Amino acid sequence: MLSVHSVLPSHKANATSNNMTNKINHPELCQWLKSIAIDRDKQAFTQVFKFFAPKIQRIAQSKINSEALAAEVVQDTMSNVWRKAHLFDDSKGAATTWVYTIMRNVTFDLLRKMKANKEDNLSDDIWPLAELANTEEEVFTDHIQSRNLQGIIATLPENQQQVVKGFYFMEMSQEQLAVHLDLPLGTIKSRLRLALGKLKLKIGDHND
Amino acid sequence: MIKHHPKFELLQGFVDGDLPASLAAGIAIHTNMCASCQQKVSQLTEQVAEASFEQSFHHKVIVNDEENLTEIAEMDFDDMINQITASDDVAPTKAFYDERSINFKGMQYTLPSALRNIELGKTAQIGKLSRARLNLGEGEIHTNLLHIGPGGSIPEHTHKGFELTLLLAGTFADAQGQYVAGDFIMLDKRDQHQPATEDGCLCYTVANDALHFTQGINKLLNPIGAFIY
Repeated sequence: MLSVHSVLPSHKANATSNNMTNKINHPELCQWLKSIAIDRDKQAFTQVFKFFAPKIQRIAQSKINSEALAAEVVQDTMSNVWRKAHLFDDSKGAATTWVYTIMRNVTFDLLRKMKANKEDNLSDDIWPLAELANTEEEVFTDHIQSRNLQGIIATLPENQQQVVKGFYFMEMSQEQLAVHLDLPLGTIKSRLRLALGKLKLKIGDHND
Repeated sequence: MIKHHPKFELLQGFVDGDLPASLAAGIAIHTNMCASCQQKVSQLTEQVAEASFEQSFHHKVIVNDEENLTEIAEMDFDDMINQITASDDVAPTKAFYDERSINFKGMQYTLPSALRNIELGKTAQIGKLSRARLNLGEGEIHTNLLHIGPGGSIPEHTHKGFELTLLLAGTFADAQGQYVAGDFIMLDKRDQHQPATEDGCLCYTVANDALHFTQGINKLLNPIGAFIY
């Protein structure tokens, strides 16, 4: 058994010393992730990046032993943070845990590519990222704004509603929607972008 | 009720991402079926994440590693930030997955989600045993789905390395007792066992060496040991 379990780095002993952990400003990290999710806020992303990237670089370098590949882990992890910020749910765990999961998964897939020569990207199957919600019901019970949101979506043109509901509530990918609605992928993308722009405006109005 | 769980070191290796995919998938399957291990994994992940991104830990490393520090400090992250934020692609709220299932002797089994993208080899059979390889490309570590038909058994055997048997469906029993779906049975070369199933079962197995049959006439069965491995 020992042959397959690499020895843990000594710093892991620190994992239990919780008295040091107040150095991480969790509410601030959560706030930044929310700004990325809602406003695509580049400033907030830069803050998140500056907090995590050097640490990810160092951790990845100790596992992979290559500066270039460690930079790849940083890039992949932080791109995921940018693309998936709207999936982060602070009621399901800390921002550090969420980013850690992404980093660990990216590193695992990269190491598998190197060692086993496999590009099967199994990490998200083995360690699914804690997601905002699993079912439509949950989406609407989890969110304070859910009732509003449903109402606002109903004000969109029918063709945009279709795409928004398919993408966000029926969990279909843009590609699947294109097939399902028999439309070019570009049309799906532009309808979604239009719809999100309108939703952002309207939700903003309600909040002010 | 599930009685057999991965030991703590395995959970820790799982959280760190240091286990081979075969064992990591086994632990993922188990924790999906076992609330108490699920909770341990969540807590451990939270702790490890916190420690990984804590300032003080990095200061310590920096002291020991000054050369690296300057390299990283000089790295230009701005380009990376610009490149990443230039894309307005957003991940779907939840990816849509098809369930994957497999047939053994007319029985259909839905595979755990941890296995849905692993390349699956052809099914081979000897008597009541059917085996489908999961081609993970991990060298001496072999991973299989092993189906034992009703009334079937694996003769008493031992192994030179480790053997994980994770019961996915059905039940089996050996000298230690009954096992149910979710039981995570990690044996090493000290153990001998002779699992038998009344109603048939499906197992996820990971071993790093062929099984070795130990008793009298069963020694003639050592080819089965190679088959199962």
